[in-house]
Amino acid sequence: MASEAYITLTDVVFSRSGRRIFDGVTLEIPRGKTTAIMGPSGTGKTTLLRLIGGQLKPDSGTIMVAGENVPKLRRKALYTLREKMGMLFQSGALFTDLSAFENVAFPLRVHTSLPEDMIRDIVLMKLEAVGLRGARDLMPSELSGGMTRRVALARSIALDPELIMYDEPFAGQDPIAMGVLVKLIRDLNSSMGLTSVLVSHDVPESLSICHYACIIADGQIIGEGTPDELRQHPSERVQQFLQGQPDGPVPFNYPAPDAGSDWGLTGGLK
Amino acid sequence: MMDRIAALGRLGFDIVATVGRAGYFLGGALAGVPKPAVGFPLLVRQLYSVGVLSLAIVVVSGLFIGMVLGLQGYTILSDYGSEAAVGQMIALTLVRELGPVVTALLFAGRAGSALTAEIGLMKATEQLSSMEMMGVDPLRRVIAPRLWAGFIAMPILAVIFSVVGIWGGMLVSVDWLGVFEGAFWGNMQSSVSFVDDVLNGVVKTVVFGFVCTWIAVFQGYDCVPTSAGISSATTKTVVYSSLAVLGLDFVLTAVMFGNF
Repeated sequence: MASEAYITLTDVVFSRSGRRIFDGVTLEIPRGKTTAIMGPSGTGKTTLLRLIGGQLKPDSGTIMVAGENVPKLRRKALYTLREKMGMLFQSGALFTDLSAFENVAFPLRVHTSLPEDMIRDIVLMKLEAVGLRGARDLMPSELSGGMTRRVALARSIALDPELIMYDEPFAGQDPIAMGVLVKLIRDLNSSMGLTSVLVSHDVPESLSICHYACIIADGQIIGEGTPDELRQHPSERVQQFLQGQPDGPVPFNYPAPDAGSDWGLTGGLK
Repeated sequence: MMDRIAALGRLGFDIVATVGRAGYFLGGALAGVPKPAVGFPLLVRQLYSVGVLSLAIVVVSGLFIGMVLGLQGYTILSDYGSEAAVGQMIALTLVRELGPVVTALLFAGRAGSALTAEIGLMKATEQLSSMEMMGVDPLRRVIAPRLWAGFIAMPILAVIFSVVGIWGGMLVSVDWLGVFEGAFWGNMQSSVSFVDDVLNGVVKTVVFGFVCTWIAVFQGYDCVPTSAGISSATTKTVVYSSLAVLGLDFVLTAVMFGNF
């Protein structure tokens, strides 16, 4: 990899309610680039972001972010580190009792002691960056799904973070909103030099904006590299995922007992 | 048989784990002194929604309970010709028992359930999570002001309840049933002791306020973030708070007025 790593995961093992989600994941996310983490639903992509953000602790392994081992950080240091991170939640997670303006102003009010007119200028700049300067007075309930996500994006870049994590930014968006988000993510990365981590299962969109991608399945990384390297990847499972084929090494059917026994056919299905 | 014993053991573990989580949660929320400029407006807002908005139900209930006490007390006491003692009876009942207990039950139903639902919904919509990722501790930003608001509001509400109740009792017994006003207030004054009755009552309200708010806020924070989870957490808030209040009332009464 050309540039230095901003996030390094080494042998991360994580299980929840008896199920092993990650079984020795090792991954480097380069500084200043966009990295896509892809994989079928339920493979723990969001969990990976929560591990990086320190909301969950791994069973073993290290997670270095900006030179600090996240699981070992004390509360105060962790909260200081999080000021350098922005995270865009799948639902947007706007504060429902605050207007769009106040949502974006929230991190500024909490973490800085800027005067009110300066906060106003910054908030309007951030809202302008996502094209919603005019929607500043709307309440979250009055915003459409795409707008909610864009306001949330403005909020997560309010403090000019070094790292921004996108949790399924394209899920459930119409084609126009999706295009807008793709462009926004790309522009933010190139204009602000952010390190971006993108979790998604939308293959074409993700590959079109990322510098580097990896695919997670069954608790492990099954393929990684630049988008071009991935498209040439020899693994059948990687190809199955990228091309969206219903059957292949990753089965379509959830493991089930023999069909014949479920429908009461003694001889089994022929 | 073994299954039942195992289930009992698991239940025990679950209870201990929950109590541990609740204690850890309380410590996290109450540790650290917030900056007054930040904390004070948050507290005032919560005092409004927890305290001021509960006033109506507390005042109306207090009034009616006082009136019923006046009516019942008069009917019973007049059999013995001592209806003048009705003031003393109303005041002692309210200040020692009904004021703290009924207010706590109303508080759990009105403010506690609202707290649980609000926090549970904030959890379900990832608002708490996103706050955490912004480097803001939800325990201090969301939970602490609500806890303090409950601790402060509940004793004040209980005092208001008792005062309104006594006034309601007076309306019925003096203004309606014709008990001599001087005897009504005089008996009350000579028999209600400030330290033994009023202060002990206030101590009860402080304990109830603490327990009810703690249960409500913890249930919201600890709920399963789904519709069913929030509904069951809200139910638990009301049930656990009511049971805790009634159980603790017995213990506190035994300690305060038991004389052994």
